[in-house]
Formats: sequence, structure tokens, C-alpha cells
Amino acid sequence: MELGSLQRRYIDFTTALFREGFLDNQYTQLQQLQDESNPEFVLEVVTLFFEDSEKLLDELSRTLDQQVVDYKKVDAHVHQLKGSSASIGAQRVKNVCMAFRNFCEERNQEGCLRCLQQVRQEYFLVKSKLETLFRLEKQILAAGGSVPVLW
Amino acid sequence: MEEGEGSNGGVFEGGLEVRVLVVDDSPVERRMVEGLLKKSGAMFQVIAVDSGKRAMEVLGLTDDKAEQPTVDDQKVDIILTDYSMPEMTGYDLLKTVKEQSCRKPIPVIIMSSENEPQRISRCRAIGAEDFILKPLQTNDVLRLRSYARPVELSPRTGTKRKMTLELMAENSSSDRRPRLTGLAVS
Repeated sequence: MELGSLQRRYIDFTTALFREGFLDNQYTQLQQLQDESNPEFVLEVVTLFFEDSEKLLDELSRTLDQQVVDYKKVDAHVHQLKGSSASIGAQRVKNVCMAFRNFCEERNQEGCLRCLQQVRQEYFLVKSKLETLFRLEKQILAAGGSVPVLW
Repeated sequence: MEEGEGSNGGVFEGGLEVRVLVVDDSPVERRMVEGLLKKSGAMFQVIAVDSGKRAMEVLGLTDDKAEQPTVDDQKVDIILTDYSMPEMTGYDLLKTVKEQSCRKPIPVIIMSSENEPQRISRCRAIGAEDFILKPLQTNDVLRLRSYARPVELSPRTGTKRKMTLELMAENSSSDRRPRLTGLAVS
């Protein structure tokens, strides 16, 4: 694809991510922390987020699958997922975590399981979106261009 | 977990680097805070650990240490710790640090995603210098420098500073940062 088209596609895609609530201003802050001394900072932090989230989602499945659910443990995992998603601006994941914590407090297993399904869905959606974004950035750079700055 | 290099701080234009011990069990949040601190004009040297227990080791406060750390042993100017951590919470770490009888107790700033007045009061009551809501922003880390322990001033300056703490009344719905504020009064 031609450079100009790639850059336009990048702008449209990023704008949509923010408009649809997948990302919020924290993602912009993350981008602003990347510079020549830290050229891969966004990728590094987002990769950490992917690894940490998938570990937490597995733990949550295991914990909620127990005969007697340890809601304190569930809450601790959701709290961590909420924190990390808030840190990188994964807004929809964060929002589901907030509802999830309410169900933990109520010791509502059905509610928790529903939230787990939802948070897993939102996580994999945002993961896919971010991977597409990084792919576009790579293609733009490979075509000799620079990634548009939207802030 | 990671440790920063060096123990005596570097020198940059304007003075010594402030050595910050970041304590957070979340690898994502730890890395974000580290990035924020390092972006702030090379003023901070960061040591990042993933637990209160590890922080105690860095500070030389583990049970097997026979003596209290002296000022010269302290490799940290500020502790920036998450509140909610497993096993040893930020509150536990704060309490342990403040119970040390060294001449210059290390300032401790608590980070939390929860805006709970009771939590803030608890931390304040045992000496936390500040309480910052997560996720941290650039202006949060910029003011950390003011909490670094005052450098010994040369006799020709002779300035005395008195720190007082005020709890600012905040509108919790509009302000993301209910906090303790240190005021330097000359």
C-alpha cells in the first residue's frame, strides 16, 4: 500500500479506537513517554499488558471454577487487571473490571462469570486492535514514512 | 523486578538526581511509573521492585540486619509505593519506614487507584508525605522532587525550612487528587 494511504488508514483507525472507547487519554500519555531514548516504550508496555492480562484471565478462570470461590483472590486479580488496563488506556477493559469488582463484593458467582466472559472479550478485542495499530506503524516506517502524531 | 544502577545518584544540570524507589506488584504500572519518572528531564534515578518485601531489602530493613541503616547507607531519597499489594501492603511498608529512628526518615508517597478518605487519613496519620491517585500523570511526578530530603546546605546560605502538612479539602467528584500537601515555610 502507498505511504499516504497507510498514514490515512492509521489516522482513521486510531481515531475510531478513541471514538469507540477502546482507548482513552492514558494511551496518549503512554505514547508521549516514547522518545529517542525509549523508542520502543509503547510496544514494551503494551506487551507487558498482554502478558500480564492473559495470566490474570487464566487465574480468574481457575479461581472462579473452584467449588468454593475465594472472592478475595478474584477481587485481587480483577483489581490488578483494572489497574494495568487503566494505566495503558484500555478503557473498555477497565470499565468491565469496575463492574466485576462490584460482583466480587456481592459474592455473586454468576455475575462474576458473566464479567469474566465480558472482560475476556474486551481484552481480546483491544489486543487485536492494538496489534493492527502496531502493524500499521511498522508498515509506515518500512515505507519510509513517519507515524502520524495525533496529539 | 529491576534495580537501578549506582547508589549515589548522578549529577545533572541543577543538582543531584533524586533516587526513587518505586514499589508496585503490577509490572505494567511499575514500568509506566518508571517511564514517567525517566521522562521528567533526567531528574530521577529509578529503582523498581515488585513487593514491599523486596523494598525492605533495598532499604536494608530486613530482619537479618543487626543494625539500623545509617544515613550514609541509604540509597533512596523517596519511596513511591502502591497501597494495595499482596503480603506487605504500601501501608505496612510506610509504617516500617516511618518507625525507623534514623536522622532523616525517607519521604514516602502512596499511590492508589482508590479515592478513599479513610485510606488517605490512615496514611497521613503515620507520616505519608503525599497520596497520589493512579494512574499517575506527568505533573504528579514533577512535584515528587519537592519531597526529596533537603540536601545539606552550605553555611553561607543558612536557610531553615519548616515542613507543615495540610489536608486539602477536595471535591472528590471533580478532583482526581485528594492529597496531603507539604508546605515549605521559611
